[in-house]
Amino acid sequence: MRNIKEHIVEYLILFVAIFVFLLLFFIFRFDKNSLGIISALASVFYILWGIIHHVLRDRLTKSIFFEYVLFGSLVFLLLYTVLSF
Amino acid sequence: MSLSFIRNKQKGNPNVVKYWRKNPKAIEKFQFVYNFLPHPENKKRANLISNKAVVVYCLMIILATATIRITPKFFPGVLGYASNITIKGLLDYSNSKRSEAGVSNLILNPKLTEAAQQKAKDMFEKGYWAHVAPDGAEPWDFILGQKYDYIYAGENLAKNFSNSKEVVQAWYNSPSHKSNLLSANYDEVGFAVVNGVLNGYETTIVVQVFGRPREPSMLASVSDESTILERENSSSTIEPISGTTSVLVKTVEKEVSTVPTAQTEPKIDVTVATKSLSLIFGGFVSSLLAVDLWYSKKKGISKFNGQTFAHLAILLVVMVSVWFVLRPGVII
Repeated sequence: MRNIKEHIVEYLILFVAIFVFLLLFFIFRFDKNSLGIISALASVFYILWGIIHHVLRDRLTKSIFFEYVLFGSLVFLLLYTVLSF
Repeated sequence: MSLSFIRNKQKGNPNVVKYWRKNPKAIEKFQFVYNFLPHPENKKRANLISNKAVVVYCLMIILATATIRITPKFFPGVLGYASNITIKGLLDYSNSKRSEAGVSNLILNPKLTEAAQQKAKDMFEKGYWAHVAPDGAEPWDFILGQKYDYIYAGENLAKNFSNSKEVVQAWYNSPSHKSNLLSANYDEVGFAVVNGVLNGYETTIVVQVFGRPREPSMLASVSDESTILERENSSSTIEPISGTTSVLVKTVEKEVSTVPTAQTEPKIDVTVATKSLSLIFGGFVSSLLAVDLWYSKKKGISKFNGQTFAHLAILLVVMVSVWFVLRPGVII
């Protein structure tokens, strides 16, 4: 929580983006093609957010870079599994 | 033997090696616990949420998804979509939307109903999902085939939905389908709700055919509508069609139901299977991340890795979306 308070602007951007994606998901809930695109955008956004967050404090390592890529991929796969059927 | 005791032994006792040798089970326990908890000495997350573990989860999800996709090719009809859709429900919800828009209600027409039935059966028999058949047959061909001479006609299609309300709501949310649904050019409608195996999946196809007859005298009567609805009420069992000859239809013979009410219960519901898969993996990783947050704070473990809270937040949103928002069903 201390970390969130220290980087309130970055977390605010993340939470607003999460809210927007959730809203888009609800609006396009009957359009699977749009939902697929929204899912892909959400995971790309999350990867970029993580990378930028760590670059700004000069703490980006190869391991952290892969961590965000992997969690972003996991997010997309969890959604795609349901959307692709 | 508590973990804190073991750590104290490690730090304070120079004969720690002796201690470990005497207590091999304590080592196993020590190692096992850090599959779930962050390691205070290594300053790393639990092994089960390490980068390597996430790679394994991603591969497992891809493998499971591929299995669900391949299974219908070898075992047609095992996987499918459970549904409970009725013509009455579709008519009521459609007319409810039209009333809200100030458009007159649609009446069920037997000829349009038969045209919709023929279209649905044609899709199962020829194995396609489109407004135009592979052989070039258009929706109008099915309508004219029932000697329904129209001024205006239209068609909406849906599949894999679980109930009537969701079908109509999906059409209502799509601009092109909505224009059909609320068009004042149509007076009559026909529905088909047909179960069958399409591309290996047990599914329910819904066909909605709109029309306005050239001669007003051709308009269906209230009794025509009642007859169709009564037939739906009386037909509670699923009867197979017969008389088809092609190889493709061989599997369809047993599966396609011409009964206007569709209640399908496949052995494995694709929606339940995929949602469970997503929620199990998402829930497992989220739980470990939550434990990581709590334990790291409690023990004051400062790790050099990505933001655990952010990972947890995005995964929780994914699970909320999967559980509450994502629904099966496709319209064209």
